Amino acid sequence: MATELEQAGFTNRSEEELGGRWGMVVDQDLCTGCQACVAACSMENNVPFVGEEDAGYGRAMHWIRIERLWESTEYPEVKMTPFQPTMCQQCHNAPCEPVCPVYASVHSDSQDLNLQVYNRCIGTRYCGNNCPYQVRAFNWYDYTDARIRPELTTLQNQLNPDVTVRRRGIMEKCTFCIQRIHKAEDKAKSEGREVEDGEFTTACAQACPASAITFGRIDDPKSEVSRAATSSRGKHLLEELGTLPRVTYLAGGA
Amino acid sequence: MSEKISRRDFLKLASVGAATTAVLTGCGPASRYVVREPYTKMPEYTYNGLSTYYATTCRECAAACGLVIRTMQGRAIKAEGNASNPVNLGKTCARGQATLHGLYNPDRITEPYKGIRGQPLGRESGSVLDWDAAIQVVADALKNNNPSEVAFLMGMAPDHLFDLVSDLTAAIGAPAPVRFGALGMFESRATLSKAAENLLGQPAMPFFDIANADVVLSFGANFLETWLSPVAYTRGFAKMRRGNPKRRGYFIQFESRLSQTAAKADEWIPIHPGTDGLVALAIGKLVAEAKGGVTPRAFASVNVADVVTKSGVALETLESIVHHVVEAESPVAIPGGTALGQSNGLSTAEAVLAFNALVDNFGKPGGVSLSPLSPNQNVYHRPASAQEMTDFIAKMKSGGIKVLFVHGVNPVFELPKSLGFAEALSSVPQVISFATFPDETALASDYIFPDHHGLESWGYQRSVTGTQQSVLSGAQPVVSPSYNTNSTVDVLLRAAQLAGGKFAEALPYADEVAFIQSKLTNLIGETDGSFVAPEINTFAAYFQQHGGWWKNAAELPTPSAASALGQGVTVEEAEFAGEGEFFFVPFVSPTLAEAGANKPWLQELPDPTTTVLWNTWVEMNPETGKELGIENDDVVKIVSEAGEVEAPVYLYPAIRPDVIAMPFGQGHTAYGRFAQGRGANPADVLGLHFNEAGDLAFAGMRVKVEKTGRKQVLSRLEGKLGVYGFIEEK
Amino acid sequence: MIRKFFEWIISPMGRIAALIVALSLFSLAAYGIYITQQSPAQPIQFKHSIHVNLQVQCLYCHPGALRGASPGLPTLTKCWGCHQQIAKTDTSPLLAVLKDFVLNGKDIAWVPVAQVPDFVHFNHRPHIAAGVNCEDCHGDLSKMEIYENPQVLNMGWCLKCHRSRTEDNIQNNPQNDSQISAVLAEKRTKLTDCGTCHY
Repeated sequence: MATELEQAGFTNRSEEELGGRWGMVVDQDLCTGCQACVAACSMENNVPFVGEEDAGYGRAMHWIRIERLWESTEYPEVKMTPFQPTMCQQCHNAPCEPVCPVYASVHSDSQDLNLQVYNRCIGTRYCGNNCPYQVRAFNWYDYTDARIRPELTTLQNQLNPDVTVRRRGIMEKCTFCIQRIHKAEDKAKSEGREVEDGEFTTACAQACPASAITFGRIDDPKSEVSRAATSSRGKHLLEELGTLPRVTYLAGGA
Repeated sequence: MSEKISRRDFLKLASVGAATTAVLTGCGPASRYVVREPYTKMPEYTYNGLSTYYATTCRECAAACGLVIRTMQGRAIKAEGNASNPVNLGKTCARGQATLHGLYNPDRITEPYKGIRGQPLGRESGSVLDWDAAIQVVADALKNNNPSEVAFLMGMAPDHLFDLVSDLTAAIGAPAPVRFGALGMFESRATLSKAAENLLGQPAMPFFDIANADVVLSFGANFLETWLSPVAYTRGFAKMRRGNPKRRGYFIQFESRLSQTAAKADEWIPIHPGTDGLVALAIGKLVAEAKGGVTPRAFASVNVADVVTKSGVALETLESIVHHVVEAESPVAIPGGTALGQSNGLSTAEAVLAFNALVDNFGKPGGVSLSPLSPNQNVYHRPASAQEMTDFIAKMKSGGIKVLFVHGVNPVFELPKSLGFAEALSSVPQVISFATFPDETALASDYIFPDHHGLESWGYQRSVTGTQQSVLSGAQPVVSPSYNTNSTVDVLLRAAQLAGGKFAEALPYADEVAFIQSKLTNLIGETDGSFVAPEINTFAAYFQQHGGWWKNAAELPTPSAASALGQGVTVEEAEFAGEGEFFFVPFVSPTLAEAGANKPWLQELPDPTTTVLWNTWVEMNPETGKELGIENDDVVKIVSEAGEVEAPVYLYPAIRPDVIAMPFGQGHTAYGRFAQGRGANPADVLGLHFNEAGDLAFAGMRVKVEKTGRKQVLSRLEGKLGVYGFIEEK
Repeated sequence: MIRKFFEWIISPMGRIAALIVALSLFSLAAYGIYITQQSPAQPIQFKHSIHVNLQVQCLYCHPGALRGASPGLPTLTKCWGCHQQIAKTDTSPLLAVLKDFVLNGKDIAWVPVAQVPDFVHFNHRPHIAAGVNCEDCHGDLSKMEIYENPQVLNMGWCLKCHRSRTEDNIQNNPQNDSQISAVLAEKRTKLTDCGTCHY
């Protein structure tokens, strides 16, 4: 049964047609679920920890999370699905973009990424509602304020100055480490050249001991990420919804 | 309001509102009134606003992964792996990433302290000393006691401090320092070492080259979690899977519960606890028979049908595994984890190593070899086994130790209570702790002379295993110490000088850096390593810059397989301690490991297989839960012959119905606000039950499960409803 | 009760009272905004005009502007490098403050003035590289004593320049070259993109 989107030809477009410089590939056969990427992303992007109670309510602020689902739960034929690191898919056709009443969740024309402009956000949470991957996190409280949470007074020393620290009422999500993108582009610009693939990478890809996450210039057919994205094992999450995600998953298992 | 407001009045009210809003927004962001102090004593090579990167070594476990810390204006802001260090090649695990939460932890000990044992830290129950007084205390402790009654108990990191203490104790006639760590206990390092000695010829950690293997049989080894060198082994695993475009490696895990490692296996075989060795022998025999020729003595006497019954593994499964092994080019088998934590752990390890000999992979790519000695090491060393710790505790109890120095380990928490370490402390007149955090052992000490955090310290760490290159990873401070702490090496050096005589002669070093350099002198002029330097100052500069020194080529100290196969390997049936219908499997939390509970971001990481956050749980098969009438979040009491512990249940389908499991890492009664009073410690139910090598048979307890009637809701990342395809009955 | 209040408010007495309250709130608000826009007091009364008129280059004390995001504030050693050789350091009461800081090794707690909010990541390097002079944004420092912003550093003001410098007009593209037009268009996209500064 072809959906309307399929009939309109949306899913037939190649990466080249869709454009964009940055892409990511996650190899689920290699991901061991170790959570190094989750820790790395949180340290890099000043993602707050919410504590046990709020985490139990589903308010944990992970920008990337490892999903563990079950294929079968009948002991002894128990099988988990391959670990699935899920972050903002930076959809070409993002459902979160058109719904923001104040244009905080906009598409960047220069970087071709889905931005989250923290100072515009007024916390309607419509974007989080719309995201089919549920990768948007909302600051339900002031999780980063040391006046409310004195335990943060010394922990604040670790905050990354390149990333805005968010207050309550603001939505946040994976940005493909846009601060690293900007830094690398600035350095390249100062040397009078373009950013090369492999010059920098996202925090999650840098930490992963299994090298399961690859990030880079998807518009360069010779880059590692381009070659990986064209693998026969490649698939997209929730492809049938027509969001055209920028992240390709390589299926786990044989 | 019943009266309508006129337009004029409305405008007046509105303008007042607007003015107020203008005042509030005009105040601007909170940071406007922050004063900015320039980094006045900035190192010359630092540019304002640009980061400075320092290479050091991670101290969250003993694997010796190299880190590069990004610092900005004197603050460490991100930990990354050192791309040159052969152990981790630029990668880090979650604990390495969260190490900054240790450096900037709100509960660090900030100054030298004389406390009252058992009392919490604070001015009411103790007093702050200055460092001169503290060093005098150490000097007196060394001088005024018979050397045989001075004891050092240390963690598995850092190595440079261990070397210093080894030198000191050797020179003054005191017993050598004892090293211990919970990770080492759960890894059964004494068992692996002994098995390697018996079958491979040296008491080293064996190295399993899974990167180049095409079939991996793991008997309980959790090499993707915290086992020995997880970053290196994860890299090896990735290479095994997709490193060779012509083949995808095949991985089989034998374990009574589906651990994170087992979740990545192509086949998870839930064998009966304690039968790993028997299964290895059975597979070995079948492989030998399939290959034809004489079955080696090691495997000749095993009864396959008997093994099938005992282990619960079907004959067809064994035969299919045999088929994989026979067809493989480079199969390898790994013993570890719960397989070694049984009363028959040593013979299990030997059986698995003999299996490797059978498939002839000793010293070959994809096979087993001995881990090389580190560059400045000439004797293999391992941490103390639980039996050796029991002997040490007996010495404490008998009054044979008058002063105990503790660094880098928290035995009150890490050792099972049944070993009686906490009680034995009362027989030691003076206990001096060098803890950085207020852990249980520090609070049970007389003095705490806090060491710097690992990121504020100099040092080096030897790579025990994980790579075939000989690696010495270096550490340097990446930030100035935040508090009035002092390097323990410096404290001991100054105390030795103060004590004079043979103490001063034993440690004739000006400071920590001079000591470390003295241990690097044998590497000067070496040409087969990561850099060459003609004299010590150049060497030290490069050592700091690169984050260590390592040999360029792989070394594969290889024994002959013949001796391994010629031995008879008898695996006795595992004996279990205590009574109860369940086998108890404690496992090291893959996110927290032994010492991560005080780092909030590690607590917030969900457990990979259960997705539980911030707490401890008991894994129980849902069928078992149904039989016993236990639901999710029901708090149960686990009772063994040695003790009891309570925790809420998580119904987990991927575990044998006769097994229950609990993660180790929580259950602290001190150690800071994020760790204290959270979860439960499975070590509380472990008893004095050892394997043949002296390691704790931590998976060899039988336990009873009692309902308490209470519920404690576990926070999980996954949703609760319909997770396993069944809706929980209310 | 409310009804009575409204009746009183509408009466002449009430109106005057309401006017007084409104005026005082308004002036309070105006004063509040005024004081937030004033330059704060600095620990040392550093006068830019003196130094600029002595031909000290901006980049001498603020070298970071050429390399990265933050131009930086000079360290104590930088100030002392010159001032220890100047006779006036011993005689001037204003410089006595500096002397006290340096000789006692105290940090100077400068209060930042040319500030943008936390959620803006401003990078000096591309601006210097594009040929923007320091005084274009920070004012003529040869005439400024204690530093204060010559205009409010808000987004509208930033965008004014970003737009005008990327407009495809005679000034930016005198030969009406299509290639330059393309470059200008790309630059404009980048300079008006939210994610360039807000991330």
